[in-house]
Amino acid sequence: MNTIAEHPVAPEQIMAFFDGELSAADAQNVAAHLDGCSACASLVGQFRDLSQSLTQWSVALVPQSVEDAVKGFAARTSATSKSGKPPAPFLFGIWNGKFVPFAVTGIAACALLMVGVEISDSYRNARIIPHRSEVVELPNKDTDTAGYDAPASVPPSLPAQSPMNVATPAIAAMAQQTSALDGNAAASPAASMQLNSPTTSAAPMIAHTASLAITVKDLSAARASLDAILARHQGYAAQLTVESTANFPRSVTASLRIPASGLSSAIGDLKTLGRVERESQSGEDVSQQHTDLAERIKTARATEESFRGILQQRTGKISDVLEVEQSIARVRGEIEAMEAEQTRLEHRVDYATIELQLNEEYKEEIPSAAFSLRFHNASVAGYRNASEIVASIILFLVQYVLSILIWLALVCIPALLIWRYRKALSRL
Amino acid sequence: MDNTTRRSSAAKPTGESTDEDLMADFCHGSQDAFNELFLRYKQPLFGFFRRRVADAAQAEELTQESFVAVIRASSRYEPSALFRTYLYAIGLKILSAYRRKAAFRATFTGAPDAYREPAALGNLEMEYVLRQAVGKLDRLEREILMLREFEQLSYVEIGELLHLPVNTVRSRLFRARLALHNLLADPTPTADAEQARIEESA
Repeated sequence: MNTIAEHPVAPEQIMAFFDGELSAADAQNVAAHLDGCSACASLVGQFRDLSQSLTQWSVALVPQSVEDAVKGFAARTSATSKSGKPPAPFLFGIWNGKFVPFAVTGIAACALLMVGVEISDSYRNARIIPHRSEVVELPNKDTDTAGYDAPASVPPSLPAQSPMNVATPAIAAMAQQTSALDGNAAASPAASMQLNSPTTSAAPMIAHTASLAITVKDLSAARASLDAILARHQGYAAQLTVESTANFPRSVTASLRIPASGLSSAIGDLKTLGRVERESQSGEDVSQQHTDLAERIKTARATEESFRGILQQRTGKISDVLEVEQSIARVRGEIEAMEAEQTRLEHRVDYATIELQLNEEYKEEIPSAAFSLRFHNASVAGYRNASEIVASIILFLVQYVLSILIWLALVCIPALLIWRYRKALSRL
Repeated sequence: MDNTTRRSSAAKPTGESTDEDLMADFCHGSQDAFNELFLRYKQPLFGFFRRRVADAAQAEELTQESFVAVIRASSRYEPSALFRTYLYAIGLKILSAYRRKAAFRATFTGAPDAYREPAALGNLEMEYVLRQAVGKLDRLEREILMLREFEQLSYVEIGELLHLPVNTVRSRLFRARLALHNLLADPTPTADAEQARIEESA
């Protein structure tokens, strides 16, 4: 069949003319063109031949059974239709089979998804529950800490919690009874706290800290010199670490404590060990911390004394007495913790801290190991790496392969069904 | 050939009732009117299904189902179009539903080729070649070509049935005829088609 672009009549128009689909005027024009154009006339002949060929696709006659069934149904319907309209299609015709495959596939996918999510949640909950139980088993601080339980490391800037403010009602009742018996207002802890005014220290308390990084030629000699310096200045090493790794320079990291009065001379001695790479000094004023701590200790002691006074003049029940003893023990523990903190603070002032870093100058060494030894080491390392990779793959598969398969099934099965459905539909 | 007739209001012989008149009479309870309609369209409609469905028994069922649908919908019938268009619209809907169900079954049974057997197991060589060539056309173009060649529907009717503009119907029909002509001019069967042909002849 030839397309004739240069002709005034389009091939589609010729086809429409052949099919009798043109208006009278258009048909007249096309007919006039066909009279003078053999190519277009042959196109019509080709259309005619094609239609003639298709007539050879014959179909058998419709069976008599179909005719009988349809006419019988028509007769029955005609007889019953006078009684009323036929029933409306189910669900207004929506459920006519068109959405059945999609509905079934969608429901199956949703069900699988829900199962997957449920399994995932169960697995996650199973991992979380032990932690939850641990949390539940913790003592309830709100109910147990009726007394003064502030930690010893509470920052000094925060307001100290008064033991009287958290005293139990039993203690308060006993205190009232004691006050009534004695008629002495000064016996109450609050009164004693009001009488004690804070004391301030005139001399500032400075905690000195210095940092030195020194590169030395011989670390062993430097280490010996370091010990000598410490002995000379009556200091000590609070912490000291020596690192010696192959192909890397050796180093010493130390935290030195030197009496504050000899800090400058000690730093000067340390600088003689080698080339100073870095040096810094700082001082922290801890006077306020020390003062606050002293006041808190004093207050706590007064509270302790008050409790002891209450205990000696007790008139309450045994349970109240026990509660007072517990309070005394708690206050005593707090006093000891604060005293330790005070001692540590004073020690920081008395002894300056020097963070020292000694690095040895690195010298490349000719490897002495033979090739066979290096080959052996490389082989062992390679075997270890390979086995670790294999083990990692196996562990990964064991841990995740089931989940991956489930998710693949969730995604692939609906996709496969839809693909097969569309493929089958296209073949029909 | 099934002697397809075009008996619409545009082509009826003088004195003979049109399809639309008969349908109107049937809607008012005339059994004879329906018998006449059935007589006119039983063979065209059966041919419509037979050329599109592999199984002959299935084509009979679909034909019967289409007429039953016409009977059931008679109370809601409104003569807004030709009865022929109305009937083939029902036939196309039923055919689409059948194809979806068959495809759905094939999705799980994995045997869609069972529905792909040739409609008529005739012995004529030309008929076989025609079926093969038409089957190779694009799906929409094949439908347009068959509606035009076998059901003798106009471009407008085909457009209404397939929800396409008339110009689209014309251009797609032209392409279908062009493709079919080329296929018939050079019918080189594929290996599968040749194997099916051998099995069919056996």
